[in-house]
Amino acid sequence: MRRRALASHPRLRDARFWLLAVALLALAAALAAPRMELTRSARDLVLVIDVTGSMNVRDYRIDGTPASRLAEAKRAARALLAALPCESRLGLGIFTERRSFLLFEPAEVCENFAAIDGSIEGLDWRMAWEGDSYVARGVHAALAMAADLKADLVFLTDGHEAPPLPGSGLPAFDGEPGKVSGLLVGVGGSEPAPIPKFDEDGREIGFYGEQDVPQENRSGPPPADAPSRAGWNPRNAPWGGDPASGTEHLSAMREEHLRALAAQTGLGFTRLGDPSALATAVEAGTRVRPVSVRVDTAPVPAALALLCLATLFAAGALASRRAIPAH
Amino acid sequence: MSELPAFWARLFGGWGVDHPFVLMLLALALLPLFATAFRRRPVPALVLVPDDVTSRAVGWLLRAAGMLALAALVLGLAGLHRREQSIQRVGTGAHLVLLLDRSSSMDNSFAGRAPAGDQESKSTAARRLLGDFVARRPHDRIGVSAFSTSPMPVLPLTDHHDVVQAAIAAIDRPGLAFTDVGRGLALALAGFAGDTTDASRAVLLVSDGAALIDRRVQEALRDAAARTPVHLYWLFLRSRGSPGIFDVPPPGEDTPQANPERHLHLFLQSLGVPYRAFEATSPEAVAQAIADIDRQETRPIRYIERVPRRDLARMAFAIAAVAVGLLLLAKLAERDLASHAAAVRAQGGRAPVREAA
Repeated sequence: MRRRALASHPRLRDARFWLLAVALLALAAALAAPRMELTRSARDLVLVIDVTGSMNVRDYRIDGTPASRLAEAKRAARALLAALPCESRLGLGIFTERRSFLLFEPAEVCENFAAIDGSIEGLDWRMAWEGDSYVARGVHAALAMAADLKADLVFLTDGHEAPPLPGSGLPAFDGEPGKVSGLLVGVGGSEPAPIPKFDEDGREIGFYGEQDVPQENRSGPPPADAPSRAGWNPRNAPWGGDPASGTEHLSAMREEHLRALAAQTGLGFTRLGDPSALATAVEAGTRVRPVSVRVDTAPVPAALALLCLATLFAAGALASRRAIPAH
Repeated sequence: MSELPAFWARLFGGWGVDHPFVLMLLALALLPLFATAFRRRPVPALVLVPDDVTSRAVGWLLRAAGMLALAALVLGLAGLHRREQSIQRVGTGAHLVLLLDRSSSMDNSFAGRAPAGDQESKSTAARRLLGDFVARRPHDRIGVSAFSTSPMPVLPLTDHHDVVQAAIAAIDRPGLAFTDVGRGLALALAGFAGDTTDASRAVLLVSDGAALIDRRVQEALRDAAARTPVHLYWLFLRSRGSPGIFDVPPPGEDTPQANPERHLHLFLQSLGVPYRAFEATSPEAVAQAIADIDRQETRPIRYIERVPRRDLARMAFAIAAVAVGLLLLAKLAERDLASHAAAVRAQGGRAPVREAA
């Protein structure tokens, strides 16, 4: 006979009263709701971008116009910067000759976004101080630098070694493979393309020809196939009698070389595809630094309060369309 | 007349929500116009109800409370906030480009040797002192350029000093071979290209040596200096035994090739912009010079102060709670005039009035 007891208090029998009461309680809960600590995965990265001559090869298209590898690498780097969660840190370096040169140490990406973005935008092939491009040594140097900064490495390069590697292959890596995690990102197309040539004032004056660049590295011991070459003489012409010929004046992304280098140093390898895909690859290939963010839990009870009030008024509005029966 | 838009912007600019789609629920706030939280009563004739201003007012007040509660809840759920605001203030400071020498000689100590034991290398000393310098000048907009074998733009002018400190922290990494100070200066001057404010502009060149400046680069620098009025400071970290910039060598030896530092000094003096050189032979002298520069660059500057984002969701919920509380009080005060009549009618065997649910 509980119904009877309730019926004696008509107010308590009214659903509208209960909806209002629940809404008020939920709002009180929302005002008292604690902020929860959630962890988000930030990253500490050192981004090194190759600015050597071969990065001027225009084998990309941006908005329909031919664009250099460097432009595409910068675009991808800026997309990566935008995709990194707050509290991540990003440092920037350039690679040329055999050195990776740090421009600034990792700095927080959200607070300093405009400055870092401007800094990436300002990268230019003119910052290179030598024509040489010892990519493997540059990666080794960048790994040492990243280890020192306790950050992961993202190295954007086309893998074009100039002069070419000697017959003995990759230089020895004296670091500990896998100590620094990170990613080698291969920039450039797979078709060999001519490399633009600039005069000392930075004006483009054509492309490199076959005899403008060393086609073979003739330091160190000659390669194993040298005795089969024309004019070979063990003392006078250990590399054969003819001048070296080849395609070193054309540049394609050296995927095999970069994969070998990645295997040697314990880095991952990815091709630079869609600029936004780089962020995904970097997320997969680098270590997470958990940071805690505070999340407000108030919206949960507040949503309940909204539901109650909306039900109350919506039901009332629907009912008001029906006429009250006349007597 | 220009005050009005500014006032408007102050009032309505800067508001933001995190989840704009939630704002579509604002339509719910119209519901209280069509419904109330109270029972509907059958009244035989409206003329029976006296026109009472107070009752009308209370009725509208309760409708308004309902609308307010719904609107505030939706806004709170959408994450209403005042966005981070930037307010222009006037303080003292400057627009400053740090032009840092990253040549490998900076890695030596002031004695010109590899640093041993407790000695600091020139770059470490410069790093520490420049870091303090930047920390003492919170209102400056600072850009960073570096030079060695080639000039390198590092950071555009920025208010965010974290990243400037990160760039200063990078200067004690191993440097490169040469010192192309001329092109470095040209780059630093170009850093002001987009800067059209009337703030005082300064370039602080930190280097431990100099090299010949190409005649063409010299011309370009004269040009740039005429176009961009800047204050020029050269903090020369002089190693022991190297010629100073103020010493006049014996006649016949005073050539740019033999004394590039002195001739850079003479060249900078001839640029026609305010210029001071500081010769520092020890970390203490560097600190002294930096304090001097700090005192000099104290012209008024408009700088941007950031007011952090203010979340207003809790306030919206509090307003909603007050409005719902008001409705609940009204609900508690509701007197069911019909129930008595209904009870009477029920006793008489009539069907009860159907209530609006």
